[in-house]
Amino acid sequence: MSPRPIAGDRLRRILALLPWIADHPGVTVEELAARFGVSRRDLERDLEILPYCGLPPYSPDRLIDVDIDEDGGVRVRFAEYFARPLRPTPEEGFALLTAGRALLEVPGSDPEGALASALRKLEAALGPAGVTVEIDEPPQLDALRRAAAAHEQVEIDYLSYGRGERTRRNIDPYDVFHAFGRWYVEAYCHRATDERLFRVDRVQSVATTGERFEPPAAPGTREVVFHPAATDPRVTLWLASDAAWVAETYPTEHVEADDGGTRVVLAVTERAWLERLLLRLGPAARVLDPPELRDVGVDAAKRLLAKYS
Amino acid sequence: MTERLERLTNLSALLLETRRPLSIDEILEQVPGYPDDHASARRQFERDKDTLRGVGIPLRTEASAVGPDVGYMIDRKEYGLPPLDLSETELAALHVAVTAVTLEGGVGAGALAAVGGAEGNPAAAIAELPTVPALPAIFEASRDRATVRFVHRGARRTLDPWGLLFRRGRWYVVGHDHDRGEVRSFRVDRIEGDVDAGPPDAFEPPHDARPEEMLNDEPWRFGDDGAEETRAQLLVGATWAPVVIEQFGEGAVTEQHEDGSVVVAVPVTNPAAFRSFALDLLDDAEVLGPPDLRAEFVSWLRDGARS
Repeated sequence: MSPRPIAGDRLRRILALLPWIADHPGVTVEELAARFGVSRRDLERDLEILPYCGLPPYSPDRLIDVDIDEDGGVRVRFAEYFARPLRPTPEEGFALLTAGRALLEVPGSDPEGALASALRKLEAALGPAGVTVEIDEPPQLDALRRAAAAHEQVEIDYLSYGRGERTRRNIDPYDVFHAFGRWYVEAYCHRATDERLFRVDRVQSVATTGERFEPPAAPGTREVVFHPAATDPRVTLWLASDAAWVAETYPTEHVEADDGGTRVVLAVTERAWLERLLLRLGPAARVLDPPELRDVGVDAAKRLLAKYS
Repeated sequence: MTERLERLTNLSALLLETRRPLSIDEILEQVPGYPDDHASARRQFERDKDTLRGVGIPLRTEASAVGPDVGYMIDRKEYGLPPLDLSETELAALHVAVTAVTLEGGVGAGALAAVGGAEGNPAAAIAELPTVPALPAIFEASRDRATVRFVHRGARRTLDPWGLLFRRGRWYVVGHDHDRGEVRSFRVDRIEGDVDAGPPDAFEPPHDARPEEMLNDEPWRFGDDGAEETRAQLLVGATWAPVVIEQFGEGAVTEQHEDGSVVVAVPVTNPAAFRSFALDLLDDAEVLGPPDLRAEFVSWLRDGARS
């Protein structure tokens, strides 16, 4: 690895540290290390180089003077040119504003609290930032978050997209979190007798059961991306060029050019999922294998058509 | 390593302190730690310059007052963060925010160092947002009021970015599109390559500009420009009715039946996208009208039933 990013990170830290120490004389090494997210040793290393830095001709009165007293309190002198901290980079400014705005949108946040005033001050200093974050609030979110916090088992009425059916099940909600635009609840499902991830917007109702649960010692993975299991059935599809997005959208295992289109292999756990895909794609897709699934799309179209006759 | 860090610190101090641009030779002469050999020293200076710019230091290149060489100095106004006067409680609230909400692949709590460091305790993560490479550049341009140019799904665009909006898992930029002469929104993850920002203060967004009201993000409403809007009537069975109502709002419901099914009226400019939406509901939906849309849906199913 090139040493440049490390030198850059350390330079950035020094440019943030120096103004802070100048504004807070006597701040301890421990406090500085915690505040700037580094080990005590790394922070001491940063402080050690400062007495060798300054302005030409680098005579004692032109070098930065660092004094650490016996209680660990740090003071600096002769670094007036570093009096102001370096402005946040676009990445940092974006991260602060966006995280702050998002948290204010999470139900239960105080819209007039310390976070809101901190964001106003950041915008006053750095210019108004047009960032709007929308975090939706599904109807059952509050009930599930309260149940998770109190370790209460609940009975939910859940709409399963894959099968297109509603089921009632008892779950132990371990964790409620928002990932990439959706709320999820990670739970132990007593019906499946296993851990399951549920979309909060598909939970139709939440009822208390009076039972409580012990939360697991290890936190969950919060894995919201579908990873096919080795045992899931595989289907080989032919896709026309205008259906190429399928290969980019779903985890495909094998992709090769074939007859003016592509041939892909993907895992299919629910027949209804394959029906949806084939109905949407119409003439742009065909099942090549296995033979017993070749007519899935045709059969689904016939079934739906019956409504319209 | 330490030597290089010393040299970078000294270089930053000198270029912040100087009142006039300094030539490379002046810099090499004054800052200790560069190699004796002039060519290697110049190469080393080029690398240092990149590092300074890489951490966000506004290093300016200007014509030198003396000689043909360009001169360098740091723009102090651009460099310094104006006093934020954040209280301990406010810093702690920011600490909670950057730990409770994480940005995929983002700088995370490291961003706090720039504004005074981490006060108080971190929070347990409750939300993760996606990030895309173009976001910080558009964010900065929007703040600077700088017009941006980018390639979006193969087409060149020139846009005054009024604001960024995160909705349903996606980032959008909303603004005035120069080529179309109207307000447009673009998905940021579909921007290809770099975003070029022009000079600052190039535009002023309307004071009542609210990106959340300007974005038209239902896919069945994405249509060709000037496409005619029709109102589809969709019968949705009891299983999916709550989800569809949640999506369109109670106002879209025109009929409510005893078995739990509902009829919703949905504005459609893109019939193909609407067809996909209705097909996704499988047996739980029926396109009731208007007649053209229903006929088109039936003909799609007939073709599917034949092949």
